[in-house]
Amino acid sequence: MRGALPRGFRDILPTEARELHAIERSLMTTFARHGYVPLEPPSVEFAEGAVTVDERRTLRFLDRDGRLLALRPDVTTAVARVVAQRYRDADAALRLAYFTPIFREEASMRGSEREYDQAGVELIGDPSLRADAEIIALLATALAHCGLPGVDIDIGHVGYLDGFIAELPEGPRAAVGVAARAGDLVGTTQLARDAGMPATRIAALERGLRHRATDLDGPRKDAPAASCRALDALAALAPLLEAAGVGGAVRFDLGFIPSLPYYSGIVFQVTVPDLGFPIANGGRYDGLLARFGADRPATGFGIAIPHLHQALVAAGWQAPSDSPLLILEPHHDDATTLRVATALRAAGAAVAIGDVAEHAGQDVRRARVVDDAHLEYEGVVRAIEAVVAVLAGRAPR
Amino acid sequence: MTPLRIALSQGTLLADTRAALAAAGLATDALAEGSRRLVVPAAGVEYVLARPSDVPTHVAHGSADLGIVGKDVLLETEADVLELVDLGFGRCRFVVAAPAGSVDRSFDEYRHLGSLEVATKYPRVAERHFQGRGIQVELIKLGGSVELAPQVGLADWIVDLVSTGRTLRENHLAVVEEIAVCTARLIANRVSYARDRDRIAALASTLQAWAAGRPATAS
Repeated sequence: MRGALPRGFRDILPTEARELHAIERSLMTTFARHGYVPLEPPSVEFAEGAVTVDERRTLRFLDRDGRLLALRPDVTTAVARVVAQRYRDADAALRLAYFTPIFREEASMRGSEREYDQAGVELIGDPSLRADAEIIALLATALAHCGLPGVDIDIGHVGYLDGFIAELPEGPRAAVGVAARAGDLVGTTQLARDAGMPATRIAALERGLRHRATDLDGPRKDAPAASCRALDALAALAPLLEAAGVGGAVRFDLGFIPSLPYYSGIVFQVTVPDLGFPIANGGRYDGLLARFGADRPATGFGIAIPHLHQALVAAGWQAPSDSPLLILEPHHDDATTLRVATALRAAGAAVAIGDVAEHAGQDVRRARVVDDAHLEYEGVVRAIEAVVAVLAGRAPR
Repeated sequence: MTPLRIALSQGTLLADTRAALAAAGLATDALAEGSRRLVVPAAGVEYVLARPSDVPTHVAHGSADLGIVGKDVLLETEADVLELVDLGFGRCRFVVAAPAGSVDRSFDEYRHLGSLEVATKYPRVAERHFQGRGIQVELIKLGGSVELAPQVGLADWIVDLVSTGRTLRENHLAVVEEIAVCTARLIANRVSYARDRDRIAALASTLQAWAAGRPATAS
């Protein structure tokens, strides 16, 4: 078992870790610029607390008290708990951001990871369309600042499908919703037909889910009033997204139905070419927090960092490097070597003494310590300050 | 434009699949019988020939945009894919079967021992079915020839896929219950469906119209 890890877990080696840290810094900076403050939930929750993840997909264990615990399967559960405990009676909106590993049980041999980073935000306490637009624009901006070109955001509204389902008798209603969220569009229409949905409605639903709406008027034909209200919301959202500067990246897609059951309004996902999984998704989930005793409207999104990282690397992205790492060939007097290294670092340079086994993809330069004030750099003996200036790109070589 | 990649099930579904694709106006000449090529380019599309149980995996991971595969495979693999069109062909049924005339005896035994032994190639389908029924079973996974199990005393019942029922009859088995009727489906990767909607929606509509215009057939 030497060197082995449980399936679905892996070491993130220095080059990738540097890249992930760069992604984290970029995302959290963008979130902070939009007023989102960080939340760091614990790694472990009570197993029965998880709301957004099927309990079979949580990694569970017993602690010494005999309580069944789960490694955090999402952050939404923690957000819901914190809101219910501490901000239940707040009137103002709460804006939270996170970047943290989450854990999901996966069937073996599916090539899936059981631990991966997720970043996201939650905007709690604002039911307005402006809040939906804010969240979608923030997602587009955060990905663009990260260096990812050409993302597409598909925006749907679960109210469109729900409007059709609401007309069915109570029994089949749930089954139709389950089929639609599972992606079974054959079963969705078949169950709706069996439950007595008229043929014109079925045709309208099938059209709505299958064809991308070039405008939002086509899908109104033969659609229930409740579904038309969902279309009204999308129509009103469009100019807000335009105003927020992300009009070009979005397209409406009534056929986008998230698999999680708790979404209640506008929903969205981000895809890039040549990646079979979405990079991010999210939407409005009014009503979920009520289960924790804090009935507040909410919307938010989560970014699957491994997918974002994959897409960035595929687009030729490299982690930004502050300054090159200077590798010092030491002086025979150790004290001199240490004094020079300290002086270089004080002047802002990144310095390692002696050769290094792992560059982690950084730009590396070499210099030899000559005496307390001088280095030999690129064949020329220079003063410490001169070397620092060259490294920082402030002086000619 | 990059070609749509379509994963096709090798085996009994392939002939009907070719007919469906040809009816939808896609080039299928390159899918000649007996060819050993697994990735087959054609005009505007690229076919991937896979074992039926692997088709949902390719589509779920996005190594194929679309797939044509039996609902039986979808029920067993539980892959996260979109199911767009019922193509109508390859009709078969998931059934629970028992030695003819022994159903009452099985239930006596169930009352006595509290559990039945069920042999199957499809453990997930069998498990979901009996859980839904509230019947306690012990599943025995076999790789094939499941009809053998009750005859040699390996299991009380079987869960299997039947198209004509002839194999059951020849092995003195009778259907106790039907679990699901299965036909071939057009499936899509979730991201491909979002990104390539116009081409996929057009193909789905054409195939749906084609399937509606012909009688259901067994594979």
